[in-house]
Amino acid sequence: MAGFVIAHMYPDLLNLYGDRGNLLCLQQRMRWHGHDCRIKNIRLGEKIDYASIDMIFLGGGSDREQGLVYRDLVGRSDEFMAHIEDGMPVLCICGAYQLLGISYIAVDGQVMEGLKFFDFITRGAKNRLIGNVLIKACIDGEEISVVGFENHGGRTYFEDDSLRPFGTVIKGYGNNGEDKQEGIKYKNLIGTYLHGPLLPKNPGAADYYLKTMAARRGIELNRRLDDYIEQMAHEQVKKKLLAT
Amino acid sequence: MRKILAITAGKIIIFLSRMLGNQGTDFPGRVARKIYPEILKTLAANIREEIFIVTGTNGKTTTTNMIASILREKGYSLVHNTAGANMLTGITTAFIEASDLLGRQKFDYALLEVDEAFVPLLIKEARPRVVIITNFFRDQLDRYGELDHTINLIKDGVRNSDIELVLNGDDPLVSHFHNDTGLHCWYYGFEDTIYDALESMESREGRYCVFCGHELDYQRYHYAQLGQFRCPQCDNHNPDLNFTGHKLKMNPFIEMNVNDLVIQSPYQGFYNAYNILAAVSAARLVGIEDSIIQSAIAGYRPRAGRMENFIINGKRTVLILVKNPTGLNQTLSTLLYDAKSKNLFIALNDNAADGRDISWIWDADVEMLAGEKARISYVVCSGQRSGDIAVRIKYSGIDSSIINIKSNLAEGIELAVGGAGEVNYILSTYTALFECQKILKKLQKDENSEVTGQRQLQA
Repeated sequence: MAGFVIAHMYPDLLNLYGDRGNLLCLQQRMRWHGHDCRIKNIRLGEKIDYASIDMIFLGGGSDREQGLVYRDLVGRSDEFMAHIEDGMPVLCICGAYQLLGISYIAVDGQVMEGLKFFDFITRGAKNRLIGNVLIKACIDGEEISVVGFENHGGRTYFEDDSLRPFGTVIKGYGNNGEDKQEGIKYKNLIGTYLHGPLLPKNPGAADYYLKTMAARRGIELNRRLDDYIEQMAHEQVKKKLLAT
Repeated sequence: MRKILAITAGKIIIFLSRMLGNQGTDFPGRVARKIYPEILKTLAANIREEIFIVTGTNGKTTTTNMIASILREKGYSLVHNTAGANMLTGITTAFIEASDLLGRQKFDYALLEVDEAFVPLLIKEARPRVVIITNFFRDQLDRYGELDHTINLIKDGVRNSDIELVLNGDDPLVSHFHNDTGLHCWYYGFEDTIYDALESMESREGRYCVFCGHELDYQRYHYAQLGQFRCPQCDNHNPDLNFTGHKLKMNPFIEMNVNDLVIQSPYQGFYNAYNILAAVSAARLVGIEDSIIQSAIAGYRPRAGRMENFIINGKRTVLILVKNPTGLNQTLSTLLYDAKSKNLFIALNDNAADGRDISWIWDADVEMLAGEKARISYVVCSGQRSGDIAVRIKYSGIDSSIINIKSNLAEGIELAVGGAGEVNYILSTYTALFECQKILKKLQKDENSEVTGQRQLQA
């Protein structure tokens, strides 16, 4: 039995709309696969021991909180980006996803800098994009449907054609409500607007993270988990969306 | 003349909307206020003794209803707004409904549940003597500091008045109202109980000193941020209590002493113990005799979805409304205080009145259900989002073999009450609540008629 560790960055500041459910999900599923999984909370200014970490999670937050987080992250951005390049599994939801880009331009024109890992910008708008969302995503070469709930004011636009979205919007808004793209996928990082929370009713996406974490330690997960309840929840939202 | 017109119009609309089967709580008041803007001020002047208002995040309705039932038992006449009609329009409706057509009828007391945001406006129109503040809960929905804003609004509203405050002394977000207002304050709270935790179960909730921002040290938690606290930096701590709850027992029904007075209630759960304590404190301030307080509290029965009790297949069955993480946590901790084994039914809907975003279920500490202490025998997940609540329960650590999904409410409830547990807990979000209530009433009635039928056969 291996002991995996997921770093939950800034749990006091970034945890909106049930985002912590993603961690509860990964932790339980890893246990069902026969391995221990611990959540390590990382607060502002706290050092990360990357060697002992298998995955990094960042949830959503309000503007004020994103500002605090930005100031902390920018000091460690080179190291963070190097681990992303190296294949560290990372999940960034909503506000944390926006932080990965060049900047966030608020409605009043004020510009908040991003970490500039990827060449995209986010523009604030008065009307928020709110509702259930269904996307088609490609994970491990397999096409799967992913459902969630989005609630964001910012519209994200890729400025670099080589950037790949996490998925294609079937129902809902996605990055900006215009180009049918949702989120970003780069190596083992996913940035997305999907709350819900994302992983519990998308077990395919959860297993992608579990398998990647395990593979990086040379472990194979070969138990088949019974996902009847998860699939049922998934189908319920999908059906509801497709009926509208 | 405009006064009489406003009252008449209000009364007609109340009558018409009742005929149409609506609760008719806000609209009559709104129309009357249009016709005669001074209507609430005028009618509020008909109160002979005092106006009491109850505000806070949770417990307003139950606390207000309990005080009202004590005052009624004493024989006082009252104006009292019904559940949920707690904004200025709803309160105006309550006054119009109670009043005669000339608007001159006198009442002894007014007992008003008031939405936190409307307290300052109400104070301007109705001049209450006592303001009771139950608690202020911060949850996921308050990421943007709205609660701090509301607290400041209430402080501004009561300042420079002769209002007396009745405050929850265990809540650091409430107990500080004496500062900056200088008003006379009465405090209620609990001494040590056997249900206290030494560490908080809700890990993500930061509890910070309202004066200096330092994290508070807690000696004990009663629940959430209510407990015995002290700020290590500025020494802010619980005030001395005027009304103290001792010897609290929930077995599962509440028994306790308030100072020297023995209280028993058909209610369950720590948060209801707080509601009772607040109501008893208010009654004592009015000077009501002990025996009347005791019998009113003992006889006060829960309403729809506020721990309403039914008997089905001979088993105690409790219907509870859940609508946010704090409420769900309170309900789940109530289950822990009940030593019986349980069938649990949860209906989760996502209509506008429930909240379209159901992710809040992940902000509640459903994990407490998985412990030995909860004794969950059987779970049925129902409603429009039965799948989501089933996933939440599965990931709390409950074995998936006892989790069932039945989206249809009637089928789900019938399945749940057939489980092996000794008691049934029926939890529901708002838009499924009244249908659940109807189903439970029907099941209860069927049972009664069966019993009667059997008796006749025996005879």
